[in-house]
Amino acid sequence: MAVKRYKIADIVFDADVKSKYVESLCENYAYSGDTPPAFKADVTKSDIDFEREKDDINSQNYPDCYYESLALFRKLCNYALKNADGFVFHSSAVEVDGMAYLFTAPSGTGKSTHARLWREMLGDKAVMVNDDKPMIRLLGEKFFVYGTPWMGKHALGAPIKSEIKAICIIEQAKGNSIKRISPHEMLFTALNQTIRPDSAEDMDKLLSLLEKLLSSVGLFKLCCNISREAAELSYKTMSGEENEN
Amino acid sequence: MKIKDGFMLRKVADSFIVVAVGDRVKEFNGIINLNETSALLWRTLEKDVTESQLVDALLSEYDVDREVAAKDVALFIEKLKEANLLL
Repeated sequence: MAVKRYKIADIVFDADVKSKYVESLCENYAYSGDTPPAFKADVTKSDIDFEREKDDINSQNYPDCYYESLALFRKLCNYALKNADGFVFHSSAVEVDGMAYLFTAPSGTGKSTHARLWREMLGDKAVMVNDDKPMIRLLGEKFFVYGTPWMGKHALGAPIKSEIKAICIIEQAKGNSIKRISPHEMLFTALNQTIRPDSAEDMDKLLSLLEKLLSSVGLFKLCCNISREAAELSYKTMSGEENEN
Repeated sequence: MKIKDGFMLRKVADSFIVVAVGDRVKEFNGIINLNETSALLWRTLEKDVTESQLVDALLSEYDVDREVAAKDVALFIEKLKEANLLL
């Protein structure tokens, strides 16, 4: 189709877009400013085949344009890790009072559901940054989460950035409880919620970023059901409004 | 014996983890979590060593009987073989 210019996670780049699907997916991130592109992303047929082969959720039978979007995302993540202290963190990211809270869990556990409970409880105070694949970047000494076009099946998110206050693992339970966890306890989840690079050099970059992230934001584990009580507990504890017991 | 190429051991957030890199990623995309002792043995196994050299490595760091160390080493090697991680 055509070469388009985008700005995602404050990275300006060109992409040779092949499908209407990707064009429409990324349209809120189109860029026409003065910053020159940092790189060009050309998704090839073999990139598309690669994504299709890796797809273990949708039985590999989605149309090419879907895998094109994933390939584009992978290229952006590659660039971000190598050049911009950035990586994806599979999660649902909500901003409240200028700070971001990330809920993470294996697919289907209820991170999006919990983010929805926050929106129902907090109304306009809760702004969705991204409901599926936000990017995280280290800027100076602080970690920020960025909206991306890859927002999950309900397409919730915005082209905004927000400083990260806390990350919370969600686990389904009958009752509701929340506790602080250590970087060690969060590490495996974190490694499974990002794209791990192939090269040792990039892997070292990722590990060093994760280590810094885990020592600079609040880390929690929430065992919860789907209720307003669950949202109240997590919000009050993570925002620091109420001390954990 | 020796650990296969394409794995890297790192200490991150007080954890010893092993991940695959390069071509090895195609066959192994998990994460191995090691305790401090296993990490020492893994490090030693990054070069070609004998079982008794591994026992020596343990004894140089930990105050245990040779017999106990030898048992630990044998158990660890068994696990590595099961996971097909040794050359």
